[in-house]
Amino acid sequence: MFWLKAAYAAEAGGAGEHGPQILFNIFGLDVTSETTTMWGIMLLLAILSYLATRNMKRIPSGLQNIMEFAVEGIIKLLSGIMGEERAKKYLPLLGSLFIFILISNYSGILPGAGHTPGLKAPTSNWSVTLGLATVVFLATQYYGVKERGLKYFKHFVEPLPFMLPLNIIEQFVRPLSLSLRLYGNVFGEEMVVAGLFALVPLIVPLPMMLLGLLFGFIQAFVFTLLAAIYISEATEHHH
Amino acid sequence: MSIHLPDMVWAIINFLILVAILNKFLYKPVTKMLDERKKEVVSNLDRAEAAKLEAEKLKDEYASHLQNARKEAQEIIAKANKLGEETKNEIVAQAKSEAEKISAKAQEEIKLEKNKALAELRDEVASLAIMAAEKIISKNIDNKDQEKMVKDFVKEVGEIQ
Repeated sequence: MFWLKAAYAAEAGGAGEHGPQILFNIFGLDVTSETTTMWGIMLLLAILSYLATRNMKRIPSGLQNIMEFAVEGIIKLLSGIMGEERAKKYLPLLGSLFIFILISNYSGILPGAGHTPGLKAPTSNWSVTLGLATVVFLATQYYGVKERGLKYFKHFVEPLPFMLPLNIIEQFVRPLSLSLRLYGNVFGEEMVVAGLFALVPLIVPLPMMLLGLLFGFIQAFVFTLLAAIYISEATEHHH
Repeated sequence: MSIHLPDMVWAIINFLILVAILNKFLYKPVTKMLDERKKEVVSNLDRAEAAKLEAEKLKDEYASHLQNARKEAQEIIAKANKLGEETKNEIVAQAKSEAEKISAKAQEEIKLEKNKALAELRDEVASLAIMAAEKIISKNIDNKDQEKMVKDFVKEVGEIQ
């Protein structure tokens, strides 16, 4: 009985929008709140990066220090998977993946997210996460061919030729799973918080929101990690 | 839960733009700075190592120089001492011989004086004896005879001596 009530409350709290919340239209493409939030995140990251790296000092402090720490951390993480050289090579793609997903997950915790037109966590939308996963998919295929030439496609028939269909399916399923995992987590967390808000707006949603901080980080981490593994596998030179 | 194509397209476009932005403003400068710093640290460590070796080499050199200098100093001091001793002995010997000479000369002079005094004394004695004899003899002897008597007396006395 309690759960039914919670579900109705979540619906009423505007969490169950059945159609995309379209704001306006550019070049014939609809622009939703998720997209505008995405633009906001891009702007924020661009400004932070610019401020951190102008007048770079030998001995850093303040913002430069934080950014250096973040980048170094990401490089260390990637080095563990694919070795330092490749980590630096694929840093732009994978690093941006991590940073963007992290900020995007957290944008859902901002007050008004989901209710205000223009502010909605991009990763709480399956289309967006699917877009990210598509980027990862295209990247793995592209870098695989770039590193290993056409031999890359040989791996589809390894270890046995009849594995070909399975291997092809695998290539598609992997990014798909990435997208669903991310979307499910972020959207689900938002739903729970919205439901809790509708029931007891004061204090009660708080633990869930804190958990949201933790899970937001974990999901960004996992997405990046898996993408790194996929790319690493695709570009590996079997000596 | 359905796929809204515009969202997906925007997501892909936006993300690729974001990668480009972050690459230019974040990754490139930061990785460059990290590499530079690493290189600087390595080169500083190398230079410190080289400087340390250099310093130790110099230290050894200076230590041996110092030892040589000390040895030389000691030799010089020994030489100076010896020279001092020799000079001292020389001076002392010289002084001694001077003293001896002086003493010899003095003795000579004393002898001369003594003889002179003795001669004068003899003259006096002779004169006195004559005067006494004069008184006894009560004769006037003139000066010339007197002189002759003195000379003879002295000669006598001198011979006896």
